[in-house]
Amino acid sequence: MDRSNSEEDPRLAGQLRRLLLSMEASGRAILPNSNQDLLQSIVEAAARIFSAAAASIALVNEKQQTLEFKVAYGEGNEAVVGMQIPLDKGIAGYVAMTGQPIAASNVQRDGRFDQEFAQTTGYVPRSILAAPLLSGDRVIAVMEVLDKIDAPSFGMQDMELLALFARQAALAIKQSQQIGQIGATLVQGLQQLAESGSAEEAAQLLPLLEKAEGEGEDREDIYRLAASFNRIASLGDAERKACLQILSAFADYAQSRKGF
Amino acid sequence: MANDRLLPAWSSQFTPEAIRQLTAMGPLAEITPEWAWGQSRGAGVRVAVVDSGIEHDHPALEDSVCGGVAAVYDERYKGKARFEADDPPHDLSGHGTACAGIIHFISPEAELYSVRVLGRDMRGKALQFAAGLRWAIEQDMGVVNLSLSTSREEYFALFHQITDQAYFHNVVIVSAVNNIPAPSYPSLYSSVISVAAHEGHDPFTYYYNPSPPVEFGAPGIDVRVAWKDRQYLAMTGNSFAAPHISAIVALIRSKHPELTPFQIKTVLLACAANTHRS
Repeated sequence: MDRSNSEEDPRLAGQLRRLLLSMEASGRAILPNSNQDLLQSIVEAAARIFSAAAASIALVNEKQQTLEFKVAYGEGNEAVVGMQIPLDKGIAGYVAMTGQPIAASNVQRDGRFDQEFAQTTGYVPRSILAAPLLSGDRVIAVMEVLDKIDAPSFGMQDMELLALFARQAALAIKQSQQIGQIGATLVQGLQQLAESGSAEEAAQLLPLLEKAEGEGEDREDIYRLAASFNRIASLGDAERKACLQILSAFADYAQSRKGF
Repeated sequence: MANDRLLPAWSSQFTPEAIRQLTAMGPLAEITPEWAWGQSRGAGVRVAVVDSGIEHDHPALEDSVCGGVAAVYDERYKGKARFEADDPPHDLSGHGTACAGIIHFISPEAELYSVRVLGRDMRGKALQFAAGLRWAIEQDMGVVNLSLSTSREEYFALFHQITDQAYFHNVVIVSAVNNIPAPSYPSLYSSVISVAAHEGHDPFTYYYNPSPPVEFGAPGIDVRVAWKDRQYLAMTGNSFAAPHISAIVALIRSKHPELTPFQIKTVLLACAANTHRS
């Protein structure tokens, strides 16, 4: 993944901050331990950021040529999880085939796009925005957000933002898969940065990090870590940038630590 | 192009506040939409839709679909792709049918050909795409609509070569820019006509952007399109902007068959909604 092209983008920084805030508001750890929890957090955050009634992630299974819905949020979520559709079918299939995001509206009224599938979930959307989760140029999953709450359809800006969000989600999934216990690794990585004294903001994290490490994977500390990030980000551009640089440096550290 | 930073969304150059007003000078001011495509219905122009296929019997297409092929990834063949007949053509997702429907609506007598390059096989996607594009050029299509692209840097040279070949072969390639704010090919080459979406709905209102790479903005937001299984959807994406320009190019080529690709781009500039005559 080309991480370097995203962390310092101001729009993305704003989105990340909103993501962190929304996750904190929902009482979730910023980086859950299990892959399933991570995916669930991502769809919930996506639904909130895009003011969508529902959201889902379907993973590409190249061997079976299918898209399998792994997590969903919102109406019909229980029915959709576990469902499989052909890799080339419908809007999700188009995204999987091309790696391009796409938006459709008036789905219920004007078409029967995936209507058969939608009806089995008991939920027929009015609008869909779908974007790929990419690993390099390979589509590993398709994220969909359904039914924009305050507008009849998703626009180009939503599409761009979802594509950026999906990029971060794909990175998170990849890191989660590679690192496993990413929460603990995050704390360790940040602690080393804090000890190095490379940034004032990082030093502020030290007492918290020490406590976090002392209590292992205690989620309370992860929440407080998220709160710390948010406080730093709310101080201003320079602080937010420093915060993002720390995250970026951590990612580099984690990669070098794991030797890939 | 170095992929080391996020680029602005391509369509942001066609928001009402961002559109720049231009002036056509001298003889260019004499080129009007009426001269360029007035009374033209696209007769005699063949348009290839390189995409997910075309649902040939969709009611929105009437009898405009004249044939099709499918490019299939196969390492044993030159260019690692072979062709299968797809005649009458069908569509896997609906995306190609959407593009074809837009073209037919604007240019009702143009002959549409489906070149299916998308499918379940995730390997060799870019090579299928390249093979399909080559096929369209070799068939002397008047216009090739590409509402897809590749972002893989390693294919930069391959697609550059193919689009230059088209340019010198008198084939106009219309290429939608990436929906993701990142480079993609062949939309960024000067030998193609690149298109992003604007918010308007009048099919003949398009804009020229004097700060390329993306040169034209056409309707692409909440566009009512034909879709697979004889249905209709409202779709958003640069994919749906490109066919508007492809169709207008077909109208121009039908009325003025002597014009070459670079002359057609000039005519498009002169007839853009933000170009004013002095």
